[in-house]
Amino acid sequence: MSETKGFISALTRRTVLNGIATAGAVAATARLAPGLALAQPSSLLTRAIPATGERIPVVGMGSWITLNVGASKKLRDARVKVLQSFFDHGGGMVDSSPMYGSSEEVIGYCLERIANDQKLFSATKVWTVAQAMGIRQMKTSEKLWGEERFDLLQIHNLLDWEAHMETLKEWKAQKRVRYIGMTTSHGRRHNDLEAVIKSQPLDFVQFTYNILDREAEKRLLPLAADKGLAVIINRPFRRGQLFDLFKRHPLPEWAGEFDCANWSQFFLKFIVSHPAVTCAIPATSRVDHMDENMGALTGRLPDARTRQRMIAHVESL
Amino acid sequence: MLPFTPEVFFAQFEDYNLAIWPAQIIAYALGLLALALAFRPTDSSGRIIGAILASLWLWNGVVYHWLTFATINFAAPLFAALFLVEALLLAWRLVIRGGVAFSFRNDGAGRAGAALMVLAIVIYPLFGALAGHGWPQAAMFGVAPGPTVIFTLGMLLLAEKRVPYGLIVIPLLWSLIGASAVWLLDAPEDVTLLLAGALALVLIARKNRHLS
Repeated sequence: MSETKGFISALTRRTVLNGIATAGAVAATARLAPGLALAQPSSLLTRAIPATGERIPVVGMGSWITLNVGASKKLRDARVKVLQSFFDHGGGMVDSSPMYGSSEEVIGYCLERIANDQKLFSATKVWTVAQAMGIRQMKTSEKLWGEERFDLLQIHNLLDWEAHMETLKEWKAQKRVRYIGMTTSHGRRHNDLEAVIKSQPLDFVQFTYNILDREAEKRLLPLAADKGLAVIINRPFRRGQLFDLFKRHPLPEWAGEFDCANWSQFFLKFIVSHPAVTCAIPATSRVDHMDENMGALTGRLPDARTRQRMIAHVESL
Repeated sequence: MLPFTPEVFFAQFEDYNLAIWPAQIIAYALGLLALALAFRPTDSSGRIIGAILASLWLWNGVVYHWLTFATINFAAPLFAALFLVEALLLAWRLVIRGGVAFSFRNDGAGRAGAALMVLAIVIYPLFGALAGHGWPQAAMFGVAPGPTVIFTLGMLLLAEKRVPYGLIVIPLLWSLIGASAVWLLDAPEDVTLLLAGALALVLIARKNRHLS
């Protein structure tokens, strides 16, 4: 009952999001409202990909550093348990890149050993110069993952994006990939990304957004919503800095009002409660941390007023 | 920020050391031969030492950086290229062109050069072991970049004539890059890289000025 109440409450309050976003974001809210599925008892929080309406869990999994374990069997087997936990909790999107060393190969190793990965939403990137090199790299990624086709291929950090965009459009037309996207993780190339979003037929866009780095609220999130793009959020914990900054402080009691039991859920629910966000992709190498992260996949989400309270709280610490 | 953790870095070193065994024995034999030739020089010892140094740099560039480290670090192909260039420079200047002799002299440069070579062969791996990176995780002389760079700088300090500056640029650059492991990988033994680079630069500059 309380979940239902939270659902209705969140939907109505979404119309007053101007406290946290620009007018564009409010427009995005109206557009995305039907796509938001807040938690019902024992249900998972999912969001719709605007291009198709396909729903994916709002918490995915990144692989920067955490899955780059080389050839060590011991470390690979430890990562199998992490990925297993991810799928056990109902996770879907796993995101990687050829830039992440052995991460793609390790994902392939893990997927071979996991039984319940049917809900995998495979997302990787192309990160090289020249169209021919990009094609070769994406084919290598397919082999490393053991996937016949990716759900999502993204151009990493806009590197030589004009060249790769041609390939991605062609592959999508041939149904060799389901969705295409563009990423930046620097927080410095938002203007460039904005220009690409406006000019290219993307399905997904990926950038950095967290409770302390909220630059994306001003332009990128509203623009993505306006263009009907799914949004993946990287660095949700600011590369772990958020824990360094706040873990010594107790979680506020009112975090229980939106079903947060720890800081990671607090940070993640802040992100995925933004109406323009489709999915956040925290990375971890530990099963216990995965368990904590995936707790953000259930329960209520903070409304607009609570999101402001969350910001004010962390900034006061 | 590195794209891997210290745990992964040292786990890879463990796998690497076990996979290439007994290459470490050969590398140590080559290093000791080069050291012996510097203390008992012959007509061809300069070329033999050059060939040994070039082969060690070639190994580090291809087997360590290109085939091993590159699997976890996207920057490693660049490091491989640097080590290959240095291998070519050493081979060209010391083996093909020749004319550079190495011998121990009991002066500042000579003592420092010998000390750096002992540091590379013995102390560096021991320092690593004390820091928790003992065998098989240890960075061993000749097959790991750090001690190979320190040994090379030490040997160049024993050159009888001016040390070609072209030969020390990449070792000095690596002494800076490699020293970052002190902070990034919790590898205190790599502070010796920084000290070796600084010491070698000062002494080589002084020596070259004195010989000019």
